[in-house]
Amino acid sequence: MRLSALLPSLLSCALIVTCGASASASAPARAGTVLPTGTVRPSGALSPGGAVREAARRAPACGAPYLVERELPNGARWRLCWEMRVIEGLTLTGVAYTPPRGRPIPVLRSTALAQIHVPYDSGEPRFHDIGALGENAVTLASADCPGGERRERFVCVTTRSRGHGYLKSLPGEPNLSALGHELVVYAAFQIGWYTYLVEWAFSDDGAITPRVGATGSLAGFATGPEYGWSTGTGDTHVEQSHTHNIFWRLDFDVDGPKHDVVEQYDFPGSGTARRTLSRTVFTEEAKAVNAPARWWRVVDTESRNADGHPISWEIGDSGSAQYRGPADEAFTRADLYVTQYRACERLASNNPAPRCAGSVDRYVSGQRLTDPVVWVNVSYHHVARDEDADPMPTHWQGFRITPRDAMAENPR
Amino acid sequence: MAWGRIVVALAGAGVAALAGSLLLLSGEQGSQAARSPLRTPSPADPLTDEEIDRVGEIASATLRARMTNGRVELLYIERGDDKAAGERRRADAYIYDYAANRFIVRTVDLAEGRVVAEREGRGTQPPPSRLEEERAAELLLADRVHGGRIRAAYARTAGRPLRSASDLGLRALIYTPRPASRGAEACSDHRCVRLLVRLPDGTWPDTTRTVVDLSAKKILTLTGR
Ligand SMILES: [Cu+2]
Repeated sequence: MRLSALLPSLLSCALIVTCGASASASAPARAGTVLPTGTVRPSGALSPGGAVREAARRAPACGAPYLVERELPNGARWRLCWEMRVIEGLTLTGVAYTPPRGRPIPVLRSTALAQIHVPYDSGEPRFHDIGALGENAVTLASADCPGGERRERFVCVTTRSRGHGYLKSLPGEPNLSALGHELVVYAAFQIGWYTYLVEWAFSDDGAITPRVGATGSLAGFATGPEYGWSTGTGDTHVEQSHTHNIFWRLDFDVDGPKHDVVEQYDFPGSGTARRTLSRTVFTEEAKAVNAPARWWRVVDTESRNADGHPISWEIGDSGSAQYRGPADEAFTRADLYVTQYRACERLASNNPAPRCAGSVDRYVSGQRLTDPVVWVNVSYHHVARDEDADPMPTHWQGFRITPRDAMAENPR
Repeated sequence: MAWGRIVVALAGAGVAALAGSLLLLSGEQGSQAARSPLRTPSPADPLTDEEIDRVGEIASATLRARMTNGRVELLYIERGDDKAAGERRRADAYIYDYAANRFIVRTVDLAEGRVVAEREGRGTQPPPSRLEEERAAELLLADRVHGGRIRAAYARTAGRPLRSASDLGLRALIYTPRPASRGAEACSDHRCVRLLVRLPDGTWPDTTRTVVDLSAKKILTLTGR
């Protein structure tokens, strides 16, 4: 569920100004870039080019213990490489999904955290927790990686149930149902009093759930009652409220490195009898904000599923508290950014690269998108409570990336 | 772990002994012994220990030629991930020049064995290295007022006096002055950190108004918002 009802369903003004797409949410999509959904190309273009197939078949770009290749009970497979980078910490590359009985479909070239920004409600302090994340990885015990394997002490690779994949009652017959599973890759990082669990779950139906769990301890900073909540014994300590603004950088390579386009979908008319589908194609770098029912997708304009529909992965369901910071924190003023790939643009703020823009809002500079990188910002406002006593229960924040027409049917 | 910590100290007087000052500090979380140095890495594998050592040597060798005065420090080495380089093994050496307050990133191509790109600038600060974190703690503890406060808090919770910075849990984060904050204006140009300090009882005294200016080797106190 999105927590975006507070904002009217407008495109951000930044989007209107900087994005080459139609400015109005209800305007028709710009023609030419993307074929309308359902358009079937001549048969020669139905399947991806030989080069893409070849790449998918090729040996993985990494070796043990950095290669993760796992088949889930329904026959779906995920393949990826992991790396513990000094600055970004756990980084996943070459992520590809193979549906049951299908061919491998590349999804992401790379993904990693791009910032954990923690402003406290009284105005200070305001931390940028990345950070040499990789140097602060927590050694995982076997109990910290249940049923899985630890890779180089810091990374857990495991499989877990995700509840029902589907359940359908059939009159006079047994129910048609199956439990779903997901591959999970995670590491933990100790940043001051907080322990951050940084996790990606890869589901047997092709979905990816990146999320971060904050646990460990509260800061313990006392503040006035207007900025916090009384915790601990009695009413002697008011713990200061704060926000965790977490950014992910996602370099999509949907079905290969080329032909990726980012689209935004809106459904104007909410509250009336009808809702119409409205598509905005981002032809230039863009900033976008959450809105009710809004979602985005990264679509490969050339490849098709067996049904002739363009293959894409959808981004949404962040449940973000939509923090909007002061002028010197302009990078917090959108929920999703789309930028043209530039090697030096790695973090959403405090970008550690000389002669490069310093934050994601500045990466949006009107360039045409031929190789889009997506940045997702999910915020959580943490008002402490008595239950947050040591060890503080994990609070999670994240979003969902789901296949849309990557397969022609339920990949069960 | 995929990195080593290599520190090159290029003090004016120490240039002659430079080869000897290439110091490899093993990280407290390093597990490099577990990896065979002879394995040929695949393109997306993390850097091997051998590669990290070579990148450190290559990046600092050219530093030696160009910078003979001032304090230059190699912070850490990160695998290069630029798409334009294809599957070539490359690495970025993160370097800070304390004399000029310049941040330098040198890209080393491992097959070519040389620096293939260099970017430098002022005002951009990469995350502090472990060595800088330790140095910040030593500066803080040496300060009569701020260090005294930490020592007193330590003695209170541990029941014995603090011996060294290694008794504390440390986390340094880059501090960049905000428009309305006062007391640390120098940090818009200098390399400054906030230091979070964990005491033996697991508490963190509020050190958020204290800033360690690593460039000036000074402790600063923040006022205002
Ligand atoms: Cu919190």
